[in-house]
Amino acid sequence: MNPMVLRVGLGLVLAIAPTMMAGSWVRGAGKRLAKIEAGEVVADDADDGEVAIATAADEGYCNGDLRKILRRVLQSCGLLGSGEVRGCQPVQAKNVATMTGADFNALFLPLSQRAGIIQFDKDSAELDPQDTGLLDKVFADQRGASYFFVVARSSPEGSADHNRDLSQKRADAVMNHLRSTFKDPDLDREVGMLWLGEEYAQLDQDFCQWSRSGAADKCKPKDLNRSAFVAWIDCRL
Amino acid sequence: MPGRIHMAIFVLACLAGLAFASVSTFDFAQHLDRQVHDLHCSFIPGQRTAAVEGEAVGCQVTLMSPYSSVLRTKIWGGLPISLAAMGVFAFLAFRGIDLLGRTGAARRRAAGWLFLFSFVPLGASIVMGAIALLELEAACKVCIGIYGASLVAVLAAGLAYASCRRLTDDVEPDAVAGRPAATGPGNGVWALVGFAQLGAFVGVPTLGYIAMMPDYSRYVGTCGKLADTEDPGGVMVALDQNNATAVAVEVFDPLCPACRAFDRRLAASGLDAQLHRRAVLFPLDDTCNWMVEGAVHPGACTISEAILCADGAKGGGATSKMVIDWAFEAQDAIRGATKDDPTAAKRMVSERFPELAACVGSAEVQQRLNKSLRWAVAHSIPVLTPQLYVNGVKLCPEDTDLGLEYSLTGLLNRRGAP
Repeated sequence: MNPMVLRVGLGLVLAIAPTMMAGSWVRGAGKRLAKIEAGEVVADDADDGEVAIATAADEGYCNGDLRKILRRVLQSCGLLGSGEVRGCQPVQAKNVATMTGADFNALFLPLSQRAGIIQFDKDSAELDPQDTGLLDKVFADQRGASYFFVVARSSPEGSADHNRDLSQKRADAVMNHLRSTFKDPDLDREVGMLWLGEEYAQLDQDFCQWSRSGAADKCKPKDLNRSAFVAWIDCRL
Repeated sequence: MPGRIHMAIFVLACLAGLAFASVSTFDFAQHLDRQVHDLHCSFIPGQRTAAVEGEAVGCQVTLMSPYSSVLRTKIWGGLPISLAAMGVFAFLAFRGIDLLGRTGAARRRAAGWLFLFSFVPLGASIVMGAIALLELEAACKVCIGIYGASLVAVLAAGLAYASCRRLTDDVEPDAVAGRPAATGPGNGVWALVGFAQLGAFVGVPTLGYIAMMPDYSRYVGTCGKLADTEDPGGVMVALDQNNATAVAVEVFDPLCPACRAFDRRLAASGLDAQLHRRAVLFPLDDTCNWMVEGAVHPGACTISEAILCADGAKGGGATSKMVIDWAFEAQDAIRGATKDDPTAAKRMVSERFPELAACVGSAEVQQRLNKSLRWAVAHSIPVLTPQLYVNGVKLCPEDTDLGLEYSLTGLLNRRGAP
């Protein structure tokens, strides 16, 4: 064979080889891309794992009944809908929950590790350092929860009207502290307040084991109910 | 024939270089489908070694680095350097084989030019090797194969040229036969022909590569957007002091290796200067993040708190940028230590930034970090890091590595478009 022809042939082969190889690889990638775009599964080593979307927490204790009651309470307290916060008074809470006080308290039993009981002095709505310390700790531990409940109570001493006002002041004291400490623009959409006075869902001594701001020996029913029960609720509504 | 063995070695070295460059180009081209693929990372061209993590990392770093290709803002992924290397080695192999068939002065001239041309891949290897060693701090076996082939090719070409020079000086075959020596074309013509051939060997595959590429412009800006980029809760942390009009929101985890790599790629691209970057911290650690199962990056919540502390008035002398830079550097150590001891991350922060010790773990900063996570919920973003939104439009996750420069330039050019 003519050496020149051989040289040219060899040159063409070596020149064309990179073009053919690179072209086929790029074309193959383009075909896979088209298949992926069409929703087909490409059988190679591509990583096509599903990615979750960020959502609020929804714990196992959020059963259908609890969700229904929470929605009613939240709507009554003005958290859902208009966003105007006014809080729930005892009569309203009883109406929306339509349940006994014991059943109402039972709603919160799964929150034993999440809740705190802020204990006030007799006939007082002032927060002391132990109270604010526990409140800050509970509020900071929001995790994925969407709603923060403040359920204020009073012990039965005194008139029902006075105790209703007192429990409202206690709920307000908690809210004011959260507002000044955390400066959270979402606060009004997150915090639901109920003031129950002495009339509904009093706490019993089973709650002595929960996180409290009061001294260890201050756990009689009257001590427990001079309080604001605070907790994040890990339910999506 | 003088220098025949050297030329045979030269051709073999060029074919080896062609094989390594082909493997590298194949790995690069695989990624043009915008998916993640295993790499071939072995001294044996074509052998897969994805299972050997340490070896694959070096190849991954070099392949994904902005130095692996050129024209990245114009072409998705850019034109791989290894594609040009394929052309160069094919050209040298052709010239080497061609040389074996030449005699006399033509052989001497061809050997001289071949020796000269063989410095092209060696020069490129020296530059790329220095970048890999000093800039990327990564070693890639396929690349080392190319460097080695280049070196052997130069040595063999040099020895072949030396052999030819001796022969033509002492014994000119045509003159011995009693005929006038064939002088052939001059050096200028040799050079022109050589450079034209080299240009064709490199240019034709390059043009073919570009012609075959899919149209990636249709993907830019199609991966979703944020409802708004406002920050009423004050959860975002400024990552720079740029006065750029393009606002970028970066969702990231300070202990996430992909976030660190993305940060470095973005800096290397130079496009970060056109962005005003703000970070939303999204630690993939169930200590604070209820959206993940287990601590994907142990200690990430604590480090995120430290970044937020440094961003606020309680930062003392530390800035959030300083904490992020430190966290990126010490990622592996922090994750490893915190996996065994949950308090390790806080201890390491306190040792490095004593002024942040009181703030980390405080109720205020925990609440701010929680707000950061809730920002992700409010905007329904994927549980994934890193994510970059430019003026609210998401950079597709498939475009955060090889396609970064092309897609980010596309997003920046979309500004003001209806």
